[in-house]
Amino acid sequence: MTLLSTSTTAASAVFFCLTMQPIIELQNIVKTYSTPAGDFAALRGINLRVYKGELLGIIGKSGAGKSTLLNMINGVDRATSGEILVRLNAATEERVGQFEESQLSLWRGRTMGVVYQSFQLLPMLTLVENIVLPMDLCGLYDARTSRERAIELLRLVELEDQAQKLPSQISGGQQQRAAIARALANDPPILVADEPTGSLDSVTADTIFELFEHLVSDQSKTIVMVTHDSSLAPRFSRSLTLADGELVSDSENAHSGGLRRVASAQKKVATKPARPKRGTKRGAK
Amino acid sequence: MIRPRWRKVFHDLFDNKARTLLVVFSIAVGVFSIGVISGAYKIIQSDMSVSYAANHPGNIELRLADFNADTLASIRNSAGIADAEGRRVVNFRVRTAANDKWVTLDIVALDDFAQNRVNLLAPVEGASIADKNQILLEKDVLENIKAQVGDPLSIELADGTVKTLLIVGIVQDASTGAGDFLAPSTAYIHMSSMPTLRQPQLYNRALVLVSEGQDDLEHIRIVGADLKSKLEKNGFPVFRTRFSETHKHPLADTVNAVLGILMALGILIVFLSSSLIANTLNALLNQHMRHIGVIKLVGGDNRQVLAMYLVLILAFSVLALAVAVPLGGGGAYGLATFLAGKLGFGLLGYRIVPSALLIQFLVGILVPLLAGLIPVIGGSRVTVLTALSGDSAREGDTRSTGDPASMTRWERVQTQAVIFLARRGIHIPRPFVISLRNTFRRRGRLALTLFTLTMGGAIFIGVFNVRVTLDDYIDSIGQYFRADVTLDFDQPYYIDEVKQFALQVPGVSTVEGWQFAGAELLDEQGAVIDNLNILAPPADSELIKPIISAGRFIKLGDERKLAISEAILNYYPNIQPGDLLPMNINGRVEHWEVVGLFKFVGRDGILAYMPLDYSAQISNMINRSFSFRIVTNPHDRATQDLMAEKLDRYFRDAGFKVRSSQSGLASLDSAAESLDTLVTFLLIMAILTAVVGSMGLAGTMGMNVLERTREIGITRAIGADDRAVMRTVIAEGLVIGMISFALAIVISVPITYLLSWIISVAVFESPLATHFTWQGYLIWLALLLVLSTVASILPARNAARLTIREVLAYE
Ligand SMILES: Nc1ncnc2c1ncn2[C@@H]1O[C@H](COP(=O)(O)OP(=O)(O)OP(=O)(O)O)[C@@H](O)[C@H]1O
Ligand SMILES: [Mg+2]
Repeated sequence: MTLLSTSTTAASAVFFCLTMQPIIELQNIVKTYSTPAGDFAALRGINLRVYKGELLGIIGKSGAGKSTLLNMINGVDRATSGEILVRLNAATEERVGQFEESQLSLWRGRTMGVVYQSFQLLPMLTLVENIVLPMDLCGLYDARTSRERAIELLRLVELEDQAQKLPSQISGGQQQRAAIARALANDPPILVADEPTGSLDSVTADTIFELFEHLVSDQSKTIVMVTHDSSLAPRFSRSLTLADGELVSDSENAHSGGLRRVASAQKKVATKPARPKRGTKRGAK
Repeated sequence: MIRPRWRKVFHDLFDNKARTLLVVFSIAVGVFSIGVISGAYKIIQSDMSVSYAANHPGNIELRLADFNADTLASIRNSAGIADAEGRRVVNFRVRTAANDKWVTLDIVALDDFAQNRVNLLAPVEGASIADKNQILLEKDVLENIKAQVGDPLSIELADGTVKTLLIVGIVQDASTGAGDFLAPSTAYIHMSSMPTLRQPQLYNRALVLVSEGQDDLEHIRIVGADLKSKLEKNGFPVFRTRFSETHKHPLADTVNAVLGILMALGILIVFLSSSLIANTLNALLNQHMRHIGVIKLVGGDNRQVLAMYLVLILAFSVLALAVAVPLGGGGAYGLATFLAGKLGFGLLGYRIVPSALLIQFLVGILVPLLAGLIPVIGGSRVTVLTALSGDSAREGDTRSTGDPASMTRWERVQTQAVIFLARRGIHIPRPFVISLRNTFRRRGRLALTLFTLTMGGAIFIGVFNVRVTLDDYIDSIGQYFRADVTLDFDQPYYIDEVKQFALQVPGVSTVEGWQFAGAELLDEQGAVIDNLNILAPPADSELIKPIISAGRFIKLGDERKLAISEAILNYYPNIQPGDLLPMNINGRVEHWEVVGLFKFVGRDGILAYMPLDYSAQISNMINRSFSFRIVTNPHDRATQDLMAEKLDRYFRDAGFKVRSSQSGLASLDSAAESLDTLVTFLLIMAILTAVVGSMGLAGTMGMNVLERTREIGITRAIGADDRAVMRTVIAEGLVIGMISFALAIVISVPITYLLSWIISVAVFESPLATHFTWQGYLIWLALLLVLSTVASILPARNAARLTIREVLAYE
């Protein structure tokens, strides 16, 4: 793990988090989609602070706005209003909205690993090539180091013997682990995952979770993951519930050692009457 | 390990072989055609003048009365003249044992082959020097008679005696008669053989080199005019003069014009293939949308994505160049060799033409880049969100059917049309309706495909039309040579006497005596510009049907009046009937009135007509003539040849001094032949455009089917059989083919006019009446039916072969 970790202990993580500002801060994020049937607010003023070393779960039903929220954080989509701040250390504070499209990719590549439900590996590249790709694009490592890192990461996700296979030649769980390895390629401090276990069986999903837990505890990564599966709540260090574009609850799981009291200003109870659901998946319009 | 992004590019290059082949071939076709034409152009441009100049062509050629060495010496000593050679040129009929037909040749006698300094002879085979009673044949002669070095050549003298000279060699004379399609072939003897042919050892032609300004036609003309007046003062009438620049082949302009037309078609091919490239890249980027999304998701920015796809295009270019550059270079030399052979000049050997190479590289690299730029820039700008969310098709979409809310206006029109027809009992077969809808799904792609296919077809059709236009023109030229046999004598005979004799030969129906006057056209300052050949048929001649473009033709009673060919417009662009034309005729400067202009092709001098009566009056040959036009029955070529032979024998036996007896259109054959060559090239270019067009169709069908693989799989999963799938795809191809055919019918009209205008102006220096033929339309229709079926069967077969599992896994 020499290449990957700065070997942080849980204690130092706690210290770090207590003294530092949140690594991600969402201020009043609103996302409105204009549809033929009129404007539709998918996110209605989200305030959220994510601290370093958290494994934060955002749980919500289909259509609640989870993916939308995640795509705000990783800069894939832009908020209609509100600010997203990312503080990788005390000295820097980056506003996601300030980047131009072209800077955004590079920033994301270095800052944030992204994992989607549908693994999104490039089918023509081997696993190791898929993992080298972000390093190749962001230019943080030279070719040799990139390759060594890729093998290292594959070992981390227990796929080193599959390194030369194409994505189509391995199972879904393996593909998702490869996707996670790819998300870690540039050693970003943050990982965002949209239903990473959504298309996996529960046993396989478990291994993914173990991997996340390991990344948080051993490598002090910060992970934000969204899921519709409320039964997963206990596995997060903290979990929030998202309903109809608003954060409605905040829970903390003692067992994972998170001590954070979330300083978010969200309402505890949904005061608005329930709106009719607008379909389940985003693709099915 | 190569970087993963380049690994992806490399994979994209070979992943879909059909697509790569399509793009590479599209680029290659353009590079090849441009390479062939620009290369040939360059080679011919340099070699034509160099090899023409290498033979020391005479700048001034004078035909004059017999003269001796003293006169030749005085020509040599004239002002502005570097050198001069005297020759004797006499027209004879010859044949070998292997031929039973007599062929007319100009036999040229030289004083000294070793001292030959003007119009040099290049050895081809055997000896290049003829001694007494030996003869060298110019290699063009072999096109008309079967002869070999070592064969005896029979030569018929005016009185019917036959003499024999030994063929000792074949030579090439690139200068004599260059530029004159209708010039007779030549053979060479030593002056000492002239007595054998009962000819005096005197010159009748002078070939002159000017001492300076050898490439200045104006200067050459002035020197020539001075020389001529000097000779005439000394009692040597000059019948004809001809001027040419040392470094300019007389046909250079024509060849350049023809290559220019081919170049225009080449550029069009590049243009068409670039739309093919654009289409394919558009499809490729649509298919790669998700890949681009992933690359951008993990840190790739616009420029990196752009670079990847530009490199991919560059790789296509490199592959295409690897194929097309060598082929183009070879093709260029082949085309140049062919043209050089046709026009009788030599090439300086195979070589790579740097400028053509450069053009090929520019075309091969820039055209695909430009064609691909819009799709690639569009593709690289797409956001991660759009790219990954699946509804990435930037144009049209892949919705299957049904939902009226999501139908486009065009689809609604279709649906309503189908319902409308169904109400009236016309049921359009369902697969056809589906095909129609498929066809119009991707509007941009359809437009580009239609454009390529339509242009390809329109040019194809246009070339056929141009061909009949040229054929008709040659036919109409025949209207100036309607006689089946032309009988020339060495001395004038009474027209009635010849008529009487001729009509006794079975098969002869009409006889006319014609006269001829050579004159020189003068410019306003009185300098000679060109030769004027004035034919004098009877005013009511039935043997000429001129195509009058202004004024009228000759009529009885015309004095000092002529009808002249449109070629005069090159010198007097504004001339109109009623204008006076200065000319030198019978040693006097006179001004004749132009009564009319007619269309005619001719390279050697300008053709004009005056009535026989006036000609007889000024030449003092009332009722007599050297030359007779005879009509036989029937008019086919075989009868003409036979009758020419028969009449020749008949008149000789009767004691007439026959000079030659030629069958009707013999002299037009070579003109027609060079037009055929032109048409062949046009056809090759037309076929290339058609190939590009049909590749466009095949490519489009391939892409359409590929993008609908999933849909096709689902159709089959719900019960459609393979044949139904094939039927929809083939119907789609046919629909596109037929739409393009309809468009091509329309577009071919302006294209035909344009092509025929350019070609006729280039070759004949005046526009021709354009004709149309159904041939091109029919052939193109047939080709199109076959092409669009084949172009759709191949991808359809592939689609039908996929298993349902494969299809559903398809991305
Ligand atoms: N591009 C869009 N245009 C219009 N509406 C959209 C768009 N994308 C998402 N929505 C709507 O926004 C809401 C939130 O969508 P989102 O994809 O964030 O839900 P989700 O919580 O991720 O659901 P799931 O669990 O099904 O993935 C949904 O009601 C959806 O219909
Ligand atoms: Mg979602």
